[in-house]
Formats: sequence, structure tokens, C-alpha cells
Amino acid sequence: MNKSNTRKKPNRTLVKMWNYKWIYLMLLPVMVYYIVFKYIPMYGITIAFKDYNVFKGVLESPWCGLEVFQKILGNKNFWEAIKNTLLLNVLTLLVSFPLTIIVSLMLNEVMSAKFKKVTQSILYLPHFISWVVVAGIATNLFSMQGGTVNHILNTLGIDSVPFLSDNAWWVFTYVICNVWKEIGWGTIIYLAALTGVDESLYEAAYLDGATKFQRLIYITLPSIKSVIVTMLILQISKMMTIGLDAPLLLGNKKVMGVSEVISTYTYRLGIERAKYSDSTAIGLFQSVINIIILFAADKFAKAIGEDGII
Amino acid sequence: MKKKKISVGQVVNYILLLVLAFICLYPFLNVIAYSLSGYNAVLSGKVTFYPIDFTVSAYQQILGKTQIWNSMRTTVLVTLLGTGLSLILTIFASYGLSRNDLPGRKFLTGMILFTMYFGGGMIPTFLVVKGVGLYDTLGALFVPQAVNVFNFIVMRTFFRNLPESLEEAARIDGASYLQVLVKIVLPLSLPIIATIGLFYAVGYWNTYFDALLYIQDPDKYTLQLRLRSLLFGEELNNSGVNLEGLGTQVMTQSLKMATVAVSTVPILIVYPWLQKYFVKGVMVGSVKG
Repeated sequence: MNKSNTRKKPNRTLVKMWNYKWIYLMLLPVMVYYIVFKYIPMYGITIAFKDYNVFKGVLESPWCGLEVFQKILGNKNFWEAIKNTLLLNVLTLLVSFPLTIIVSLMLNEVMSAKFKKVTQSILYLPHFISWVVVAGIATNLFSMQGGTVNHILNTLGIDSVPFLSDNAWWVFTYVICNVWKEIGWGTIIYLAALTGVDESLYEAAYLDGATKFQRLIYITLPSIKSVIVTMLILQISKMMTIGLDAPLLLGNKKVMGVSEVISTYTYRLGIERAKYSDSTAIGLFQSVINIIILFAADKFAKAIGEDGII
Repeated sequence: MKKKKISVGQVVNYILLLVLAFICLYPFLNVIAYSLSGYNAVLSGKVTFYPIDFTVSAYQQILGKTQIWNSMRTTVLVTLLGTGLSLILTIFASYGLSRNDLPGRKFLTGMILFTMYFGGGMIPTFLVVKGVGLYDTLGALFVPQAVNVFNFIVMRTFFRNLPESLEEAARIDGASYLQVLVKIVLPLSLPIIATIGLFYAVGYWNTYFDALLYIQDPDKYTLQLRLRSLLFGEELNNSGVNLEGLGTQVMTQSLKMATVAVSTVPILIVYPWLQKYFVKGVMVGSVKG
């Protein structure tokens, strides 16, 4: 009895698998894709522990232990890139996070459905524009020679501002461009949460004589608190990750001191200077830190009673 | 009655939103004004809202360049092929892994989700792309990034919510899984397929970094890469990328802005559809389980 049961079980699984053969066939190209383009590169990380030689390739290059990491961790440029990554990310978050919530609340107050729809469409637009275009437009607007913004400042009697060539001003420009591009798009999540707020709460508060501001503070914000917290944790967990497009395209030689971030540094080191091992080691270092932050953020979210983010 | 009265706060809110909308639109206005202005007006930097010394010569020059047309064709081709491949793989993955009783489902799903948190990074991926012979081919621009995990999650959620009875009925009638997928599931899923397809298409249209990484031959430059080399020509020269024959030194601001306009117009044309579908997609994605 017992024996036949244990024998039957794997059989049933096999029969099921046979029934699903066409499904497996569909999954095959997907899995091949993942193995070739995601998992083999993961094996390729081993070159961070090797003295990579182009002619010998990934497998044959000699191991060198932690030599590459020692070299990188002792390099001033590496720490500089980390500092810049954090600086740009933190500043962007500080500006964009509260602003996104404020804009969502403003949109939510709009009574006219038509006005709301048109405004939303316009605010979402920059999200769909490539960084090359955004950087091109920004250069045109902010340049010292003939830039529109400086032209307007000049006519107001203000001296030209080196938006793109002075370190501090460049950071300002970077943050502005990022906020401009993503602020409207960021409101979608909050607007969705705001439509879920119970209407009867507002009515009750209205009858009790609560002002608009009081309703905002005591009803609206508490209702979307969990979305706000989740979004904040999600953003913080990405602090070490930075897109390559914005700093690479907006940056230039003059502001390298602030525009060189981890992603651009990896790119220049790896592709332009062909230091494969060094570049890979930096990528690995960043991935590991990212995972640590992610798990910590997830733990934290659960500890304060919110949904996890993993 | 009382509710209909518009308060001061409302008026301020409307005005602030209008200002915000203007800030979002102004850069585009500026681009168009520049691209249609005369040479001297542009040099002096006094173009702000509308063209000065109206001329379309920048557009004539840009549209007369074969490189622009070449790049446009490359980008259209990559966008079409890429979106096609991405959709097929994403549909296969989400359809297959949406059934709860598939043996090995957890392992395979885990394999896909894991890549969201950890990856080989730039150089190891670069070496693989080179190793499989995709380097300096258009395939490098869509094959290595064909499946997006987020899109996979969105589509799988959608498939899971389809009524099971439909599929069962077809299965009893002897239809194979492929037939069920093509004849029953896909027609029901057109909205989500359109959404995800647009996500992919915009991504392919806008990326330039993959092209920067994998494309060497200037004849295969995508629109974004061409745009970058035209806009920031000197930068590129310094970093050693070959720009011969592009004539970047003589690019005036209006020419640059005309190029920006030309490469952005396709996005602007499809934008009204994009927006509607994308908002839905983001919503579905945000309520994932």
C-alpha cells in the first residue's frame, strides 16, 4: 500500500509534465535567454577575482584572489564615485519626493475632470523623452553662451550662471532635469491611492466644520501614509544605483568632480580603458551593497508594520 | 450649491498647476523656436518663446542628411524587431508560469525574479554579447535585454485573472496549449499586450546606451546615438569615438534643435495612446501579488 503510493507520486508528476510538454517548449526560449544573457554573465563575475587577459578569456585567465578589490578600494576615484552617486541620489530624492506628493495632492483637488486630464497628460510627457533629448535641450537652455535661461537672467540684470560648468550649479541642473522628467509620472501611484480614500470621511469632517487644510492633514495624508512609506523605502533602497544616462550625457570634463558616479566610472574603466577586472569588481561591490540595503529596507518596512518590498 | 463656489485656494491651485504644466511644455517650445529661427537670432541667444527670423533651413539640412534617415531606419527596425521578440518571450513566460500546477514553476519563476536583484554587470554581459557574435550587429540592441521582469510580472498577473473555465472548455474540446494561447487567451489580452508592447517600444526607441556599448560601425548608429554624437560632438571626439564625416563642428544650435525635434516627433505622435495605456500598466504592476 505504502509502497505503491510512493511509486505513484513521481509518476503523476511525470504525467503532468508530459501533459504540459508544449508549455515547457514555450518556456524553453525564455529560459535559454535568461541563462545566456543573465546567468552566464553572473559566472563572468569571476573575472573580478582574476587577472583578466583578453587572449585567455574568462575561463583561462589566472586567479589573483582579492588583488583587484584591494586595488579598487585603495583608489581615490572609486570613493569619489560612490560619494557623488549618493550625493546626486539623496539631493534628487529630497527634492522630488515631497514635490511629487504635493503635486499629487494638488491634482487631486482639481474638480474639473477635463482640466485634470489635460494637466496630467502634459505632466507625464517628459517621462517619455529620451535622456539624449533631455540633455540636448538642457544644454541649449542652460549654456553660458546663448543659453535661454542666462539670456533671461541677463535681461533682468543678473550675471550669467555657469549651470553646466560649475560643480555646485551642475548638481543643481542635474536635480532640476531629473525632477522635470519624472515628477508627473511619479504622481500616478499617489493619485491611485488618493482615489481610494473613503469619501464619507470627508463629508463627516466637513459637517464637523473641519477646514480644507485640516481635512488634508487628518484624513488625506493618513489615508495614503502606507503608500508614501512604501515609496520612500523603495527609493531609499535604490540609493546606490544610478542611471548612467543622465550623468554621462549632462556631465562634461569641467564637472567630472561631481558628475562621475559609479555607473559612469564602471563604463569608463571597463569600456573606454578596457580594465575588465576592475570594472567588474566595482559592479559586484555595488550589487552586494544594493542587496544588503534592499534586505535592510525590507526588514525595516515589515518592522514598522508596512508591506515588504521584496 | 455651496460646493459649486470656487474658493481662493482652488484658484491658486489651478494657477500653480498651469505654471507647472507650462514648465513641462516650455522646453519643447524652446526647441521648436530655436529650430525655426535664423542663424544670427540663435547666436545672440534671444530666442525664447517663438521663432525669430523664421526659416525652415535647419529642417531642410537635417532631412537632407542620409545619416539621419539611416539612423531613423535602424531605430524603427530595432524597435519593431525588439518589441516583437520581447512580446513573444514575455507572453510565453507569463502564460507558462501563470498556471499554478506546473511542475517546476517555482524554480523557473525564481530564476527570472532573481535577476531583478542581482546581475553580472556591464562587462560580463558585454563579454557574453561579444562571445555569441552579436557585437556590432543590430541584434545586440534588443536580444540581450529582450525580457523585462516588471513586464513579465504585470502580464502574468493579468493571465492569472482570466477565467479558467474558458481554457478548460477548449482543452476538453481537444485544443493544444498553443491553440488555447493563440485563439482564446491572446484575443482576451489585447489591452495588456498593447500596454506591454508600448512599454517595450518606447524603451527601444529611447535607449542609446546599448548602442553606445555594442555598436561600432557609424552606419549602424541608432537615432539616439546619432543624436548624441551630433549634439555633444566634441565630447565624443575627446573620448575617442570615431566621428569622421559627420561634420559636427559646423552644427549650429538651430540644426541641433531641429534634430531633437525630428527624433522626438514620433514619440509625440503616439503619445496620446501611450499615456492612457501606460497609466493602466503602472496600476496593474503596482498591485502585483
